[in-house]
Amino acid sequence: SGAVFERFGRSRRALGLGSSPPTCRSKCGMCLPCKPVHVPIHPGLSTPLEYYPEAWRCQCRKKLFMP
Amino acid sequence: ALLCPIASPLNDEGKALMSIKASFSNVVNVLLDWDDVHNQDFCSWRGVFCYNASLSVLTLNLSNLNLGGEISPAIGDLRNLQYIDLQGNKLTGQIPDEIGNCASLVHLDLSDNLLFGDIPFSISKLKQLELLNLKNNQLTGPIPSTLTQIPNLKTLDLARNQITGEIPRLLYWNEVLQYLGLRGNSLTGTLSPDVCQLTGLWYFDVRGNNLTGTIPESIGNCTSFEILDISYNQITGEIPYNIGFLQVATLSLQGNRLTGQIPEVIGLMQALAVLDLSENELVGPIPPILGNLSYTGKLYLHGNKLTGPVPPELGNMSKLSYLQLNDNKLVGQIPSELGKLEQLFELNLANNELEGPIPPNISFCVALNQFNVHGNRLNGSIPLGLRNLDSLTYLNLSANSFKGRIPLELGHIINLDTLDLSRNNFSGPVPASIGDLEHLLTLNLSGNHLDGSLPAGFGNLRSILIIDMSMNNLSGSIPPEFGQLQNIFSLILNNNKLHGKIPDELTNCFSLATLNVSYNNLSGAVPLMRNFSRFLPDSFIGNPLLCGNWLGSICGPYMAK
Repeated sequence: SGAVFERFGRSRRALGLGSSPPTCRSKCGMCLPCKPVHVPIHPGLSTPLEYYPEAWRCQCRKKLFMP
Repeated sequence: ALLCPIASPLNDEGKALMSIKASFSNVVNVLLDWDDVHNQDFCSWRGVFCYNASLSVLTLNLSNLNLGGEISPAIGDLRNLQYIDLQGNKLTGQIPDEIGNCASLVHLDLSDNLLFGDIPFSISKLKQLELLNLKNNQLTGPIPSTLTQIPNLKTLDLARNQITGEIPRLLYWNEVLQYLGLRGNSLTGTLSPDVCQLTGLWYFDVRGNNLTGTIPESIGNCTSFEILDISYNQITGEIPYNIGFLQVATLSLQGNRLTGQIPEVIGLMQALAVLDLSENELVGPIPPILGNLSYTGKLYLHGNKLTGPVPPELGNMSKLSYLQLNDNKLVGQIPSELGKLEQLFELNLANNELEGPIPPNISFCVALNQFNVHGNRLNGSIPLGLRNLDSLTYLNLSANSFKGRIPLELGHIINLDTLDLSRNNFSGPVPASIGDLEHLLTLNLSGNHLDGSLPAGFGNLRSILIIDMSMNNLSGSIPPEFGQLQNIFSLILNNNKLHGKIPDELTNCFSLATLNVSYNNLSGAVPLMRNFSRFLPDSFIGNPLLCGNWLGSICGPYMAK
């Protein structure tokens, strides 16, 4: 829990109603290509059939970055 | 050479470490090198890291070592300590107040232990603290409101304790906090509108507490949140329109008492990966605009009071892997557009009021693992294309009005562990190919109009636990091959037209705990050996020519031995 990811550039800001996945433009530092992925966040113990909450992260090769 | 090195006494920090060791238990093999007699260089001890060229402890990492006992108050003497990780042990007792003396502490992880008592207020003296992880303990009492005095706290994880009282409102006035994990406690009170003052927070999780009141109208201001989990509380009222301003990837509102309709604006929240509104009291239709959620993988709307049709637009949710709409009041047909969902893993439409056939296009859902339409008003026959669903493990078509023959092709869905076709109008013979389903655990074909005989090939169902073929028109005799079923614990064959003897081979089914062959035309004598001694006459009544140990049997009751 509380995983810390590197953050490049300003964080997303809401513009109005609705949302969209992050673009991940210049969110992975110098690493390319940088693409949005769903990442499960492990909240600690959970029952076997429970799903994990998911968040968006920007992925470049095997590294994840904050959108 | 000296046998014993000249002992220069340990400094205060070394003594503190020895006190810490003394209050632990199970240290024998784990802290072998914590030994002030043979090695006074405590900076070299397991889990201890010091500043270069000084004798001051910087880090104490003793995670996952199965340590018992308590955390010594002497930990407060390690004045330069920046990092404590004691997670995953069996530490008990209270968190010592003296921990507040470790003024340089940045990281404090005591998670996954057996600590009890209150969270000490002294923690708020740790002005450098960035991470406080106390999850999975047995802590009680309130969240200290003084935690708000820690200016750099980024992660606060108190999940899975027995913490009571309200979430201190001041906690929300924090621009630094990124992660707030409070799930699995006994917190009360309401969700304050101030929660959106957490402008740096991405993880908000209060799942499984006793929170009441409504979702604040201003929830849409929480634009930094990526995960909003307020599930399994007692939240009432409607889902506010402003929720549409959220940027979340996970919206978990299930297991509350939310009323009103699903706001259409949710269909604009394309960043949603998981949308869970299940187990509430929501009414009205499923908004077709939800089909716009083309990045959503999990959609749970089950256990509400939703009406109207299953929108065909849901077929546009191309990333969908879980779709659970069961236990609502949905009407109309299953839209064939669902066949476009190539990543769909689970489709649950059970316990609605759906009509019409299963659309043949369902066979294009090639990833489908579980398909449940139990308890609707569906009719027509089983589409032959279902045999293409190689990944299917769970197929439940029970309690509908399906008719026609059971296609022998079902025997080709080799990964099935559950096949439930009960309480329909299926007719014709039971295909022998069902006997090829070697992974099958549950086979329920009861309550149909099936005729012909029981396939001897069922003896090959080596994993089977339950066979229920009751309430059909099955004839012929019980195949002796059933005696090969070593795991079966329930064999239900009542209310058919079975005749002949009960094969002695059934006494080889050691696991068999429930047998019902009542109301058939069986004859001969009931076997007396092994497992059969445990079956009561109820298992056999209604077979006038069967001889057994009950009153009124043609040859009974037996004499006592």
